[in-house]
Parts: sequence; C-alpha cells; structure tokens
Amino acid sequence: MKLSLSWIKDYVSLPDDADLKKLAYDLTMDTVEVEDVEYLGKRFENMMVGVIKEIAPHPNADKLRVCTVDIGDGEDKEIVCGGINLEKSMRVAVSAPGAVVRWHGEGEPVVIKKSKLRGVESYGMICASDEIGLGDLFPSTQEAEILDLSAFDVPAGTPLADALDLNDVLLEIDNKSMTNRPDLWGHYGIAREIAALYKLPLKKFEAAQIQAKSDFKVEILDSERCPRYIGVEMNGVEVKPSPFKMQSRIWRVGMRPINALVDITNYVMLATGNPTHAFDADVIKDHIRVRRAEKAEKLLLLNGKDLELNEDDLVIADGEGPVALAGVMGGAKDSILPDTKRVILEVANFESTGIRRTALRYDNRTEASSRYEKAVDPERCDQALALSLEYFKELYPELEITGYCDKYEKKLERAEIDVNLTWLAKRLGKHLTNDDIRAKLEILGFDVAIDGDNMHVTAPTWRSTGDISIKDDVMEEVARMYGYDNFEATPFTTSFEGAINQKSIDLVRNIKEYLAIRCGMQEVYTYPWMNDVFVNAVMQDTTGMLKLSTPPAPDLSYLRSSLLPNLVEAVMKNERYFSEFSIFEEAQVFTDTDYTSPYDETESLPRQRRNIAAAVASASKNVNDLFREVKGALEFMPRFTHMEGFTFRKETKPVWADSVVWQNIYTGDVKIGDIGLVSGKVTLECGIKNLKVLVFEIDSTLLKPLISRTNKFTHLAEFPETDYDISMLFDSSATWEEISDVIAIKEGGLVKKASFVDEYRGKQIPAGKKSVTIRLTIGSSEKTLTSEEIEKAAASVMKQLGKRMGAELRAQ
Amino acid sequence: MKDKIESILSEAKNMIAEAQDESILQKVRSAVVGKQGSLTLLLKELPNVDVSLRPEMGKLLNVAKNKVTELIDEKRTELKLKASEVSPDFDVSVPGIMPMNGGLHPITQMCYDLNDAFRSMGFEVYQEDDITSEMYAFDKLNFPQNHPARESMDTYWLAGHDSGSTNEKLCLRPHLTGGSVRYMQTHKPPYRFVYPGRVYRNETTDAHHERAFFQYEALIVDKDITFTSGKVLIKSILSKVFGTDVPVRMRSGFFPFVEPGFEIDMQCQVCGGKGCSVCKHVGWIEVMPGGSPHPNVLRAAGLDPDEYTGFYVNIGLDRLVMMRYGVDDVRLFHSADLRFLTQFR
Repeated sequence: MKLSLSWIKDYVSLPDDADLKKLAYDLTMDTVEVEDVEYLGKRFENMMVGVIKEIAPHPNADKLRVCTVDIGDGEDKEIVCGGINLEKSMRVAVSAPGAVVRWHGEGEPVVIKKSKLRGVESYGMICASDEIGLGDLFPSTQEAEILDLSAFDVPAGTPLADALDLNDVLLEIDNKSMTNRPDLWGHYGIAREIAALYKLPLKKFEAAQIQAKSDFKVEILDSERCPRYIGVEMNGVEVKPSPFKMQSRIWRVGMRPINALVDITNYVMLATGNPTHAFDADVIKDHIRVRRAEKAEKLLLLNGKDLELNEDDLVIADGEGPVALAGVMGGAKDSILPDTKRVILEVANFESTGIRRTALRYDNRTEASSRYEKAVDPERCDQALALSLEYFKELYPELEITGYCDKYEKKLERAEIDVNLTWLAKRLGKHLTNDDIRAKLEILGFDVAIDGDNMHVTAPTWRSTGDISIKDDVMEEVARMYGYDNFEATPFTTSFEGAINQKSIDLVRNIKEYLAIRCGMQEVYTYPWMNDVFVNAVMQDTTGMLKLSTPPAPDLSYLRSSLLPNLVEAVMKNERYFSEFSIFEEAQVFTDTDYTSPYDETESLPRQRRNIAAAVASASKNVNDLFREVKGALEFMPRFTHMEGFTFRKETKPVWADSVVWQNIYTGDVKIGDIGLVSGKVTLECGIKNLKVLVFEIDSTLLKPLISRTNKFTHLAEFPETDYDISMLFDSSATWEEISDVIAIKEGGLVKKASFVDEYRGKQIPAGKKSVTIRLTIGSSEKTLTSEEIEKAAASVMKQLGKRMGAELRAQ
Repeated sequence: MKDKIESILSEAKNMIAEAQDESILQKVRSAVVGKQGSLTLLLKELPNVDVSLRPEMGKLLNVAKNKVTELIDEKRTELKLKASEVSPDFDVSVPGIMPMNGGLHPITQMCYDLNDAFRSMGFEVYQEDDITSEMYAFDKLNFPQNHPARESMDTYWLAGHDSGSTNEKLCLRPHLTGGSVRYMQTHKPPYRFVYPGRVYRNETTDAHHERAFFQYEALIVDKDITFTSGKVLIKSILSKVFGTDVPVRMRSGFFPFVEPGFEIDMQCQVCGGKGCSVCKHVGWIEVMPGGSPHPNVLRAAGLDPDEYTGFYVNIGLDRLVMMRYGVDDVRLFHSADLRFLTQFR
C-alpha cells in the first residue's frame, strides 16, 4: 500500500522537519514494514514550467516546430517540439538537460541532453503528460498532445513539482505485514499509529449531524453479514472533475482520478480505510435492501462481468433485484453516468470472510473487497460518513440531503481482556511499572484498569475485530511500544538431563557422508512428484501410488513410491555433460496404503518411508566392474556407518532390472531393497543413450543402527599367517556364494579366510568353464606352520572344491 | 691376474666416483660383482691358478669384491643424501590426482552445519513426514478457516483426499510447524529441538520461487522463557553459519501461529550494513520469521499456555545457502545438475 506523507499530515501534526528515515525505521520496527520511501518531487527534477513566446516552423521537418520558451532564467530557449496543440503564451512542462523522461510514455527512462533535432539545436523538451509519468493525472485526448499547464497560474521557471504541489513523500508499505491490522488500511490509521509512537496530537472527526425528513429507508436482511449500513440520499450533484488536490492525492497513491462523485468515494476509502460507494439514485427502485442473493440471480457488474450469483453472496438490491455485489463492486445499472443528478451514498460495514469468498468466487478482487476482507470495524463508518459529507458539501454547495438512514444492527463489542501483571513481567523478561504499561496502552486507545495483579484492558473499537483477542496480544502491544530492540537479550536457562542420543538420525547422516565422501557419489535432490515417462518406464505400474489433485503439470501428478524414476531422469539429464558419474538421494516415498493414525485418531496418514537410492552411470566400464563397485559400496556401508550388516539374495526381480544382474538386499530376514543393472528396455524408454546404469535403493527406516561400536578386538596373530592363492576351473554357472560355502571357514581351523581375487573366462579356459582365483589366508594360533602344513591345508580346500563342485586345479 | 684385479678395481673406483645416479651404480655392481661380473668370473677361474698363488689371489679377489661393494654402498648413501631420486626435469607443476569425487548437496551441508550448532547447545534433531492433514497443516496452527493458504493455489492437495473435513484432507506439508505440534504431542516438555525438512507450495516458479524448498525450524518450550531469549539463539546460530558476529534485529511481524511474532533481519553480509543492491540499500536482510508459539498452538499440542511458553524460528535454508555462495537461482537446488552440485565440496 502506498501512503502520502502530506495526506497523513492532515491528521497528525508531524513536524515539517521530521526525520523520515527514522519514521520509516520506527514504523518498520514497531508496526509495519516500510519497504520504500520515495521523494515524489525527485521524479520531476530539472523540469519546470515554461511559457511559449514564439512558435516557428522547423526548416527541415513538416511535423516539427521550433518554440522559443521562457523558462525563467532570463534567457529564452529554443526547443524543437512536435506537439499538435502548441499555442503562443501556453504554459508547458519543460524538461531541461538532466531530466528523466520516457519517449511517448514507453520504454526505458532517457536523460534529456541538449541536442540537434533535424539540424536545429534544441535546449530540452516540451513534454506530453505520459512522457513525465503524469498520464493518469492529466490524460491526453489525442496523439502528440502537449501537457497544457495554463490553468496553473505560476511564473515561468517555477519548478514543475512546486507548480503542481508534488513535493510529497510516498511510503510503500508491505501489505503482508499489515494483514492482521485492518485499522492501518488508510491514511488515518497510519496517522493514528504515528501519533501513538511519537505522542503527537491526532485529528478527531466530528460526527456528521444530518437532518433529513423523508421516508428514505434501508433494510438489512442479514445483519451477520452486514452489521451496519448507512445510506444518504443527495440531490444536486453532477459529474465534473474533482479538485486538483484530490485528484493528485488519489493519483500519487496509485489509483486513477475519474470524476468528482467517484473520486470522493475513493478518497474517503484511502483516507479512512472504509470503502464507500455512490449509486445513481434515479435507478434505485423502491428502497435499498442488503440481502443474500437468490440462487442463479443475475448481476451485471460495472466492469462488464455478467455473474450468476450464489446464495452465499451478499448483494445490495432494490425492489427489482441486485444492483451491486456488496463490498466488492457496483453493478452496471446503478453506476454513475454523465447525467447523474441524485446519488445514494453507501457507507457500510460488511463481514470479512463473506466478502473474501465472493471476491474469490468471481475472481474479482477490488480495492474495496481487499479492505473489507481484513475485517473493518463498523464504528469507522462514522469517520467515513463525516469525511464524505465534508467533501460533498465542499464540491456541491447547492447539495440537499433528501434522505438518511443509519442501520446499525450488530453493534461492535470492544474486546476485553484480563492480563496478569506477574505473567506479563515474566514473559517480557523485564519489570515495567504499572504507570508505564498503562501509558503505553492508553496512547494506543486502550482503556486500562489495574486492580492488584490484574490489569483489565478494553481494546479500542478499531482493534476489536479479531486483532486483539488474548492476553498475548496485549503483551505484544506493550513490547512493541517499548521497542523490541530495547530488550536486552537474555540467554535461555532451560537445563536438560542426559545426553541426546539419536541413532537413526545419525545413521542416515553417516550413510550420506559415507556415500558422498568414501564412495565418491554426489547427493542430489529431486521433486516428490514424478514425470509420467519415467514412472511408466521404471515402475511400469502405478497401482498404489498417491497422486496430486492439482499437480505442477499434468504429467507430474504421481507422488514417488520409489526414488528411482527421478534418479534415472537425473542420469538422463546429466548424460549430456558427463560420461561417468554417481549420484544418490535420500528422501521420502509414499504409497496409498497402510494408513495409520499415529498422532490423532481421527487423522489417517498413508505409508511414508524414507529411502536412500543411488545410481552409478558409466559409458565405459563393463557391467561386472560396475556391479562390483556399487555392491562394494553397499557391502561396506554397515561397517562404516555402524549398523547391522547386509546380505544379498536373489528372490524377486525388480521390474526395472536387467534379467541377470540384480539382487535383493536383506538385513537379517527383512528385505530392505534391491540392487541391479537398469535394463536396456528401461534406459531406452528413458532416453539414456550410452550409459550403463547400476542402481540400488534401500528403505532407511528398516536399517538397524548398532547401539554402540561392536567390532570385537582380536588378538594379533602370534605366529605368521600366509596368503596362498589357488586358481581352479569351475562350471561357468558356479557362484562365489557356493564356493565360499564349500570352503566353510571353521573357528580354530588353519584356513582363516578365503577371499575372492578374480574370475576369468576366455582363451585357455575350456568352454562352459571359468577360472576363479581364491586367496586363502592360512595360519595357526599355536605355532609357525611349515610349508608342508600350509600346502596340506590348501590341498584340503582344493579337494573339497573338487569333490563338491567338480572344480579342477588350473594347469599352471 | 693381480694386474687384472687391480685394473678392474681402479676402473670400478673411477666409475663409482663419477656415478651421478643409482642406475650407474647398478651397472657397475652387475658388471663387476654380479653373477657374470668381471671379478666373479675371475673368482671362478681361481682353480686354474697356480696353487702357490691361489691363497693370495683368492684373498685379493675377495678384498677387491668387498671394496667394490663397499664403495658402491658409500656412493649410494652419498647420492641419497645430496640428490633427488628422480630426474631433474620431473614436473611438479602437473596437477594432483583428485581423490574420490563426491559431495553432499549444499542444502544438506548447511543443514548439517546448523544441526552441529544446535546440538552443541543441547537441541535434539527431529524429522517428520512430508504428507500431512489439513488439521495439522492449518487448524492446529491457528490458521483461520478462510485463510488463503488453505486454498489449492497455495497447497498441494492429494487426489482423492482433497475434500471433506480437515482431518480427512491430505496435502504435501506447506510448512514444518504442524510437525512441531506432532513432536510436542508425543514428548514431554521442556522441549528443545530443531526440525529440518522440505516443504511444498503450489506456485509459479522463477529464480526466487520454488515449489519445493527447505525450511529449518527450531523450537524451545519451557516454563520461564522470555521472547527476547530468542535473540541469543538466533545470533549464536547465524554467527556459527557465517563465522563472524552477525548483528540481528527483531521487528514486529505477523504469523498466525505465533504471538507475538517477529520478522528477524540480519545485517547484510555483503555490504556490512552500509546498503547495497543485495539488501536493496537497507543494510538488513530478512532471514526468518520467529516468535512465541501462539497459545492455541500450545493448546493443540496439549500444553497449558499459562504455564508454558517458548520461542520459535523458521529459517529458510535455500535463502541462507544462496547468501552463503551467491547462488542467484533457487531452482538449481532441485535440478540434480552435476555441473552445479559438484561446485560445493
């Protein structure tokens, strides 16, 4: 919201030399955020009123003229101008070198310089209104029309801002910071707050004294939705421009002046925050009724929207039907027209949430509705009425009030709150005297009665529409009037017993750090929704998936039940730039199943798990290396992150996996995830061109962190151990799992360990066979073994492998 | 033979003396005392030597052999002490080999930095689910029934769960605070916890707006807390994150779930408060809302607001990370673009 400082000064006697930076700062700290302070006059620097002395044709251009202009510095200036309404003796706005204008009111700002126009030197520029940002205040009626300032009786050379009285300061206030302060919507509200902050006198509005004898009446049929409605019927008005000062103020805070009747209503709204409306009285049949719309009733709005109304809408109606959408916008039928002579002025109060619903229903938010929906207090109608009548009488001295009716059926109750003073002191962390507290509240309009430790507070009407309702609100008022920055920060005193031990939280962090730092993977974040292409390719079936009702895009509606579709998408996107990379993500996954109510029995939440998934992509590595690299990352994870270990089985093939390269991951007997090569079909469908992609995904909520580090200490071998490599030929389908089962390390045996070294198929190996190299670690806890004993232990292993698996020693 | 021995020995001495690197020494060793070395071959000829001369020649040979070995060892030690093991044109300006090349997301890094800071002050780390009900997203947080945020333009509702009463309507959480109520419901006060997480808003994205972004909530609830204690908390945290003492100011702000509410600004770290384009010439940057939990929120969590109060802040992680590194487009965080992510180690 934009506010004019000169307008605020109508209501509060702010000194002329007031420090505006401080004012903006104080308002920001204590009340509302002032986003910008603009010196309006700065827009018109190096612009002045000039008087045209001579007009001569331009030697080289038909459409241009050369004007001799007096700009008050005693030296006439020649200015080239293409204006069509130039006249001798006309007062015009001259932009001298240094002024900032926009050509024809469009495009980027341009700084005026002395320059030659078609061969003739021009000192500056004679301006059209939209070239200097005054288009809304002085609308032009035709192309190339120069702003005629002849009506302003000022000497040549008068700075333009002085001539038009535009030396104002505009405060831009963040609307969000005042959503809870309906009392501040309007110049008077901010003036009241400034008066309180600086203890300055505030102007009071005298209640309007109206006598009107007639049968004029207003009927409220829903006083919940319309607590108050004042109608004033007036004769003797006409459509004409409003005074320049009123137009100028309306313009500078961002609205457009229209005509005196409309301008008064807007001006009063901008001043008091209470919207008002003027109906053409001659079109109102019978009397005004404020009622709910009937179903499917029609209303054509002022802006041309043709509405079919809803029973929840509140309308202003006459004997024939709706004439206005209450608190939102007038109808086309009742609007002010050039021949309007009699008006009915509406000064009313409407309930906030109903106005909001209606404005949203028809996507028709207006200056009026945005104020009403903040909850305006009905007492404010008095100010709005007084101010309206002041201007009507000033602009129409012949005005006759022919009807008046104030229906105030739902009186506003001022909010009353009891505040315990000990509680207040404790919460403030500071002891303020009762007089101090009283003074801070009374200056804001509160009534305060203190009895012992209890303070009874009655909020002013303008703070009683929901803003102030509990004792914490009162505390906030005291605290902000004291100044938040004036409270010394006091450290917390809470003490806790016992150390914080969060194994699951730590585990996830350890895993992420392990994957990033030890395994060289990059963490990524992707959205919780998935693209249909990747859902279909990777998951193949959407059964049991949750969907968004208003997704970011039509093909992004499924919520992920697995992290893999988005990871595969990320692989596809990165393929353009990288040929070897590994990524991982830790995030929640969702399914439309297993609803539980962990917090509130009436609430039912779907299954939500926290998964960790990784994708390792390579254009050059072979599948065997890729698989072992990723599996290695998994196998060593429990060791580095302190959790129970993993085992691998081959039971259920994941839908996205290659037909051979996959395993299921278990901890104990619980399946926690899968590892595998993304199948060629899936990579093809996902647009991955050359990369082989190995992925794993595990459910981190099923991982079992160890209570503490559990590696047991083993005595260092007293006698030397020997590594002894054997290479044997196995059937090509034999697995390492089978081989290591056969070797079966026994406690106390001489073979301490059997490790996989490598396997080989190809030249020198018979078809259907593979050579596997196994490293046996052989030793004894009782003595140093002789080479014969070592050979014997190895031979026994080879014999077992031969007997049980048909393995043969590979010819050396 | 004696002459031969002496000539071999003197030649070897010369070669050893002139040797500049290990390879020459190796050559000398194999040429003189190796399996086919000149002295070794002479030794093999010893049986052919006249018996009377044999002992002397044998002794001479052994002395010579030992002498050569000794000289080589001496020279080797000398070379090691004074020279490099590699050739002088070894290029040390060649870049090193990168260790394993991975990293945490910059948001995670910031989150862990904050976790460490808060845990050092005795805070617990909490996490909650992304899908919540309207009851916890809004009702329990004192959002009025008609609050605009409830409407679909701001919240992602779930299909099939987007109508009915507020306990039946499900959405992706629009903020973390509802989860804090869940924490309070299931734990005994006093509370001191932080709650990092991702939240979702249905809005149009641009360089400054995202549909999914990260918040970091900190909440402390106890019996005798003044709202100004929050200032200490915020100062400590920002100083930890930025590594210097960061001036902080609290000003009046409004959020339904706090009373009183604050906007918390930190001094612009780019200009040091003098005013620059980053802080729009104000010198301060809005970093987080905060305040005391509204009595209705405490009530929703099963606490008596006359007895308990607290302090809450909600830090926008994306914004903090953007300030830390000068990132100018919030959408990069969810891009999974390795050209971006691998910049943060």
